[in-house]
Amino acid sequence: MNLNRYGAQQTLRAVSFICNAPQAQSVSLVGDFNHWNPTANPMKQMPDKAWAVMVELKHGHHRYAFLVDGQLTLDPRGQGITRNDKNERVSLIPVS
Amino acid sequence: MKASPAGRRGSKPKSPATKPLAGPSGKIHPVVIYPFRQPGDDTDLKELYQLVARLNREKDIYSRPITVIDRKTHYANEGNKQYLGFRKNTVARHSDILDVWAVDTCQMWYSGLGLAFERGGQQDVYWLIPGDFNYGTAMGREVLSRLHDLPEICLELQQDLCIGEIATDHNNSKQLIDTYGTFALLYNWFPVEAQAIRSYTERPRSEFFAVRHGFLHEVFRQRWYAYEQTVVMLLHAVFSDKRISRFLVGNISDLPEGRESIASAMQQVERTERVLKTLWRHRHQSKPGWAGEYRVLDSQSEQVRRTALLILQNLLG
Repeated sequence: MNLNRYGAQQTLRAVSFICNAPQAQSVSLVGDFNHWNPTANPMKQMPDKAWAVMVELKHGHHRYAFLVDGQLTLDPRGQGITRNDKNERVSLIPVS
Repeated sequence: MKASPAGRRGSKPKSPATKPLAGPSGKIHPVVIYPFRQPGDDTDLKELYQLVARLNREKDIYSRPITVIDRKTHYANEGNKQYLGFRKNTVARHSDILDVWAVDTCQMWYSGLGLAFERGGQQDVYWLIPGDFNYGTAMGREVLSRLHDLPEICLELQQDLCIGEIATDHNNSKQLIDTYGTFALLYNWFPVEAQAIRSYTERPRSEFFAVRHGFLHEVFRQRWYAYEQTVVMLLHAVFSDKRISRFLVGNISDLPEGRESIASAMQQVERTERVLKTLWRHRHQSKPGWAGEYRVLDSQSEQVRRTALLILQNLLG
């Protein structure tokens, strides 16, 4: 429920996500911001085997998770935990 | 695995001055619980009331903050010029003071949230802010800059309850009480709900939380306990399938005045047991055969409590 009350929430901020899943074949970032679409934000494996992606998010709080080989996975370093519309546990990130 | 704003390690805390995204029809009602014991050094309180002053200025987002002060605190400080000056010039300036006679902190919550609730409306969110934390330290200021996330999460993500969690080390007294006391007792009396609660938080007795109007209304219609009310609210949230979130507000320790002795730890475990027993009876006493089941759980509970107290005595005593 991001309401158009201030200009601030219209500002996009680049946010990097890192998922440490060295054995995974594919990892993607899913969340409210991409309608939980598994193909919208694929993550790229880095030389240290961690997976990374950068996305631009609006000011506010966003629900997200990593899709690790098709399995919804919480971010253990995430700042919060909540549930998505399917009642699955997902992570929370604040963006200022 | 981590998510962080680009170019940083770890997520950047939002400035408390950042405009939150409160809904046009939903207001945030801050309720501050003034420390029971007036601290000798008011650095922490001054820092807290800088936040309260900012909230008080943001009238389109926040309703006038409420500060709940126990009358015992007031009378114990009748001759304390520092307290009287701070109360008059800072607390009363930036918030409405609610003076109450309270048997315990949770009764102060009840009075403060109750007053805020009567001022609020369907879309509103109520934000409890405990006053007895070390907000004056660098980490405390960090926490103050994150606390506003709790009511904002309720508003933006339509959550019924958002619990603020404080990270502590494993030997922290609060952590020990929750691990060996609170959760052990919860697993005895409400095993299914306890698992659900633990999937969100390790700190089910947190004093940092925000609650939506509708859920607070439901909780107010239930029995309100003088202590461990956060555990009760979490149980009610799980009973009725409410939307719960947990948000990390930082890593802080209590003020020295509020640190647990072994006697205090024991009291907290005993109180938790008493609340859970009463709540269990409340929910089951209309069912046939409840008394037999209660006797079994009560017997197990005594063993759990004794074990918890033994462990706490070994670790804190």
